[in-house]
Amino acid sequence: MGIREFLDKIEHNFEKGGKYEKWYALYEAVDTFLYRPGSVTKTTAHVRDGIDLKRMMIIVWLCTFPAMFFGMWNTGYQANLIFAGSPELLAAQGGWHFALISALAGFDPNSLWDNFIQGAAWFLPVYAVIFIVGGFWEVLFASIRKHEVNEGFFVTSVLFALILPPSIPLWQVALGISFGVVIGKEVFGGTGKNFLNPALTGRAFLFFAYPAQMSGDAVWTAVDGFAGATSLSLAAAGGIENVLSNGVTWLNAFLGTVHGSLGETSTLAIMIGGAVLLLTKIASWRIVAGVMLGMIGLSLLFNTLGSATNPMFAMPWYWHLVVGGFAFGMFFMATDPVSASMTNTGKWIFGALIGVMVVLIRVVNPAFPEGMMLAILFANLFAPLIDHFVVQANIKRRLARNV
Amino acid sequence: MSQPTIKEVLLNPIFNNNPIGLQILGICSALAVTSNLKTAMVMSIALTLVTGFSNLFISMIRSQIPSSIRMIVQMVIIASLVIVVDQVLKAYAFSLSKQLSVFVGLIITNCIVMGRAEAFAMQNPPVLSFFDGIGNGLGYSVMLVMLGIVRELFGSGKLMGFEIIPVINDGGWYQPNGLLLLPPSAFFLIGLFIWALRSWKKEQLEQPSFKMAPQISNKEAY
Amino acid sequence: MSSQKESTARTLTVALLVCLVCSVFVAGAAVALKPIQVDNRLLDKQRSILAIAGLGDASMSSAQVKDMFKGTITAKLVDLQSGKFSDAKDPVTFDPLKAAKDPKLSSVLPGEQDIASIKRLERYTTVYVVEKDGQTDTVILPIRGYGLWSTLYGFIALKGDLNTVVGMGFYQHAETPGLGGEVDNPKWKGQWPGKTLFDQDGKLAVAVVKGGVDPQSPKAEHQVDALAGATLTSKGVDNLLKFWLGQNGFGPFIANLRAGEA
Repeated sequence: MGIREFLDKIEHNFEKGGKYEKWYALYEAVDTFLYRPGSVTKTTAHVRDGIDLKRMMIIVWLCTFPAMFFGMWNTGYQANLIFAGSPELLAAQGGWHFALISALAGFDPNSLWDNFIQGAAWFLPVYAVIFIVGGFWEVLFASIRKHEVNEGFFVTSVLFALILPPSIPLWQVALGISFGVVIGKEVFGGTGKNFLNPALTGRAFLFFAYPAQMSGDAVWTAVDGFAGATSLSLAAAGGIENVLSNGVTWLNAFLGTVHGSLGETSTLAIMIGGAVLLLTKIASWRIVAGVMLGMIGLSLLFNTLGSATNPMFAMPWYWHLVVGGFAFGMFFMATDPVSASMTNTGKWIFGALIGVMVVLIRVVNPAFPEGMMLAILFANLFAPLIDHFVVQANIKRRLARNV
Repeated sequence: MSQPTIKEVLLNPIFNNNPIGLQILGICSALAVTSNLKTAMVMSIALTLVTGFSNLFISMIRSQIPSSIRMIVQMVIIASLVIVVDQVLKAYAFSLSKQLSVFVGLIITNCIVMGRAEAFAMQNPPVLSFFDGIGNGLGYSVMLVMLGIVRELFGSGKLMGFEIIPVINDGGWYQPNGLLLLPPSAFFLIGLFIWALRSWKKEQLEQPSFKMAPQISNKEAY
Repeated sequence: MSSQKESTARTLTVALLVCLVCSVFVAGAAVALKPIQVDNRLLDKQRSILAIAGLGDASMSSAQVKDMFKGTITAKLVDLQSGKFSDAKDPVTFDPLKAAKDPKLSSVLPGEQDIASIKRLERYTTVYVVEKDGQTDTVILPIRGYGLWSTLYGFIALKGDLNTVVGMGFYQHAETPGLGGEVDNPKWKGQWPGKTLFDQDGKLAVAVVKGGVDPQSPKAEHQVDALAGATLTSKGVDNLLKFWLGQNGFGPFIANLRAGEA
């Protein structure tokens, strides 16, 4: 056990009074990443769950893999489809992405390899930047505050990477993750004390800071010089008929072979990961059910109300489910145990609030075609309040029983 | 209580007892008018003058004001000063007053002005009160000007309306950060400034309201 | 001493005196500064009209603005119903925006006509005309309509043929800075001069189009690029132009003026 011995040998340097005391957090991160930690968590950050925070985060991370790998393939597939349709665009591409892709693969939409390489060339740099920049902040704060680097960051980083458009400039990625980690989490004291989902906080920052590229209005592709509308903005303009006439069927949207953010397109791939999360009880089924119910309820209400001027009113619930970031947000973002409600009744209310808000924003608000991110952040803000009332109601009920 | 000196009341509010940074007063206008440096500066000057003079006048008549109506009297004096400032701006700086719109009028409700009148001018002599008002106005101004610089520079690549960083829409390279043009960004920035200020001057840190107890038992909690 | 200070009579006296002094102070300031303020408001409007008509530049002093406005531009009252000049009111003092709120001088627009979402349309409005050598050189029409968050108020300046745009711009709006707020961007406004409003058949063809104007298209001379990321503001501008230049707005007036019958 060479590595183990080496780690043990250098450990004293990092302990209190040692030479590299400041770097303890980094040492600890490497140590526990490679080996099972010798000690259990010291504070009560995860008091409401019996499973070790570290293992839990790693399961979530693994659960994003179906969506991630599908996302890489799809990003490449969409780009190559465009190239196949209009070869003149291919000739017009430049930059290091294309130099890299051309060296490793071709541009054939029917080739699994070509698509995958194309997508990976877009996704991996984004993910790498998130990991390096976000990790820098994590380690910095961990070092100053003398606590351990938390695996929560693994989850934050992959979730953040998957909700970004493939064509996003890398400096914006760096800014977004910095904002998410620092303002969304560390200013409140780190993992367990943040009341907003850090990945969504970073995304919201980019959404408001660079709205022209990020508002979910035009299509996100890896192809320079291609412009189109997303399913949601097509639906906002002319209802579902408009989406269908643009060649997007429900099955396309469900399988995920449409344009969109890196990991949000395939409802199917997300559901596979989501099912694992639900089975391992890491994600609360109450929240997921609440989101579904809220969304279905309000969209049915809008369907019956109808509107002459707003075609979004007629959008059925099963379309709401497959377009935009709904599925991804429902399984991976809303169920974040730190920023969601903690009580069981609260989880239902919290989920329903998200479901209702997302439909409300998509249908009624003219400025934002997509509402999942805003809906979840909105509900995050209400989570403590919901819990408070649930607890109070419980106390009242029990008092009444005992009088 | 020993009498503070003019230098103290003038300089203390700038960093040691900043009305925005430590007392967290006057946030509303700090969010609204700082999307560019020019309006932030005009607002700062207006508020500084109003705070200074309202303190002066209130302190001058402080022994005459019956305590039952002292708030109303303070309010009347502050409101009159604000209206005059608003009128002067409308006459001599029309385009700026258009941008500031209601926020000059809202100085009336700015907690800093009222707070200094009640907390300082009612107990202290006129000259000292005047400088206390100016000092607090300066504390507010420092914060506003910093906000204005950051928001205008990174939000639209300009300072005082002059181009500093050429933005993409005008053929430059800088992609302006749209969030900085929206009022909530000032909220984050104020938070970051307060963070920096308190890291620098540790005595401004508040006591934590609770401490997380270490886990005593060796088992995981259920 | 303190009991004397708190007596009712004393309280009333102090309150009265403070109020008196303050009101004199405030009233004095308001009265003394009023003429300058009125002047400012007028100047601001004149400056924006001149800028949109492409006359003068932003660095002109107020005296120059006034001179230029007086020398070149005449305000005229137009009856929007008949589409003819009218002298029912004094065009210099008449305020069309105020009139739009007055039930006697305006009417409610029915929903299907009200594409610019302005709710009420005034009967009379003020247009500004530049004449050179007895010929109409430029006509400046007031326009307004709803964007995403706010009503945009502005002017469009047309050449004497009442077809070619000289300039278009808004002097008041509250759209999102950086997105809809880009209606103020000189680069975007720079697209307008030279565009034509009507096609060969005399139909209104001006439009703000999403996704960029195709320069090859025969319609390109009527079209302007939409603002990036600001779908609804762009749509609002498109709608308000279609309304004001259409049959319910200045359409009849433009037709009359062309025929020389206004």
